[in-house]
Amino acid sequence: MFLTRSEYDRGVNTFSPEGRLFQVEYAIEAIKLGSTAVGIKTPKGLILAVEKRVTSPLLESSSIEKIFEIDAHIGCAMSGLTADSRTIVDHARIEAQNHTFTYNEPIKVESVTQAVCDLALRFGESARGEESIMSRPFGVSLLIAGIDETGPQLYHTDPSGTFVSYSAKAIGSGSEGAETELQEEYHSSMTLLEAETLALKVLKQVMEEKLNATNVQLASVTREEGFKIFTPEELQTVVDRL
Amino acid sequence: MMSTVPSELPVTAPIEHRFDPYVDNGGTLLSIAGKDFCVVAADTRLSEGYSIHTRYVPKSVKLSDKTVISMGGCYADCLTLTKRIQQNMEASLVAPMWYRHAHGKTMSTAAIAQMLSIMLYQKRFFPFYSWCILGGLDEEGRGAVYTYDPVGSYEREACRCAGSASSLIQPFLDNQINFKNQASERRELSLDQVLRITKDSFTSATERDIYTGDYLEIFVITSNGVELQKMGLKKD
Repeated sequence: MFLTRSEYDRGVNTFSPEGRLFQVEYAIEAIKLGSTAVGIKTPKGLILAVEKRVTSPLLESSSIEKIFEIDAHIGCAMSGLTADSRTIVDHARIEAQNHTFTYNEPIKVESVTQAVCDLALRFGESARGEESIMSRPFGVSLLIAGIDETGPQLYHTDPSGTFVSYSAKAIGSGSEGAETELQEEYHSSMTLLEAETLALKVLKQVMEEKLNATNVQLASVTREEGFKIFTPEELQTVVDRL
Repeated sequence: MMSTVPSELPVTAPIEHRFDPYVDNGGTLLSIAGKDFCVVAADTRLSEGYSIHTRYVPKSVKLSDKTVISMGGCYADCLTLTKRIQQNMEASLVAPMWYRHAHGKTMSTAAIAQMLSIMLYQKRFFPFYSWCILGGLDEEGRGAVYTYDPVGSYEREACRCAGSASSLIQPFLDNQINFKNQASERRELSLDQVLRITKDSFTSATERDIYTGDYLEIFVITSNGVELQKMGLKKD
């Protein structure tokens, strides 16, 4: 496998003769090692759920953060390199705030997603004067969930800067199993409560550890409350429902 | 000790540096918001000092089906500012913002209002000499008037007159539109009433203000779109 790639997987901006960018492909592979994250879209709002890998009983699980607020009406769940996601989320937040500052209205979910993806291929040397901030592709994939004037929106982004809208989507190491489960269980008229349960049910099936209120994180985006991360108590009630 | 001042000083006038990049081209603009409509009106005279350069130069521009901008002051600045707004609403390679292509929708009146404020303030230390009034419908379909000073301070109001005859017309509007100093109850005005007040304002202002006259352009913004009416004013 590596024999054919040996010459062309070094430079981050060099195409192989078959027309592939290996470093970007490797970055996409890196996501498949990450913890599982699930996003579900319902008519009333969206649910984001992630597993937290609590690798040691001494580890404070509350310090693992994999769901972020981008704006009051947009949140995201990540899988991959946590450190890379900080840069991306920072960029998304600035973009959202800039929009509100300039236009006095909340930014559209698609626009935030586009802004994040514009950043994805800004690694290596750039052709124009614009500053590149990374020497390699981001090793992170996001599920961006938000509500705007076009209704609830769920987007998936990957290191190549591609973004696609989904009704329900799973990323990370358990994504394959999780997506099969989502395809079976998802229907477009789900209630938010059903989505909460489904998200955790899906995570429970693909997680190696036994699911409890400390090794998962849950968040919702609704018209009424905007983006909200579930408190440990709220999370416990959902876990108890399983 | 000897005096350090030479007995005969060369006498020269101090060198002055003047920079007058602004002219006032006069003209008056007005906008009134109704329940489900907005009226934006402006005369079309372009003057400088005692001479009239042109009798017909539109001061108002339709920005979208819901919004019209009107500007007075230095006409060159107004032209450039209008162009920049239109650029930012659409797409351009030089402008930092290109709304429609980035966000896939036409800018709302409130969004244009906020953006215009920022565009004006960005030139805080070399301002556009322009008095802007933005008229249109808000997201709920109600009439909206946004008024600006040249450095971007803005406010949403029910009505406003700006430009050379503003001091003549504004008190009239305060009385007729906002019912100031009136015994009668404040009530919603119909489009016909607002148009009558608008036309009367301009015919009266034309009598007293030498910078206002020639023609009146009235933009009527309703949910059906923007309609332009023209009316003659005195040309003296």
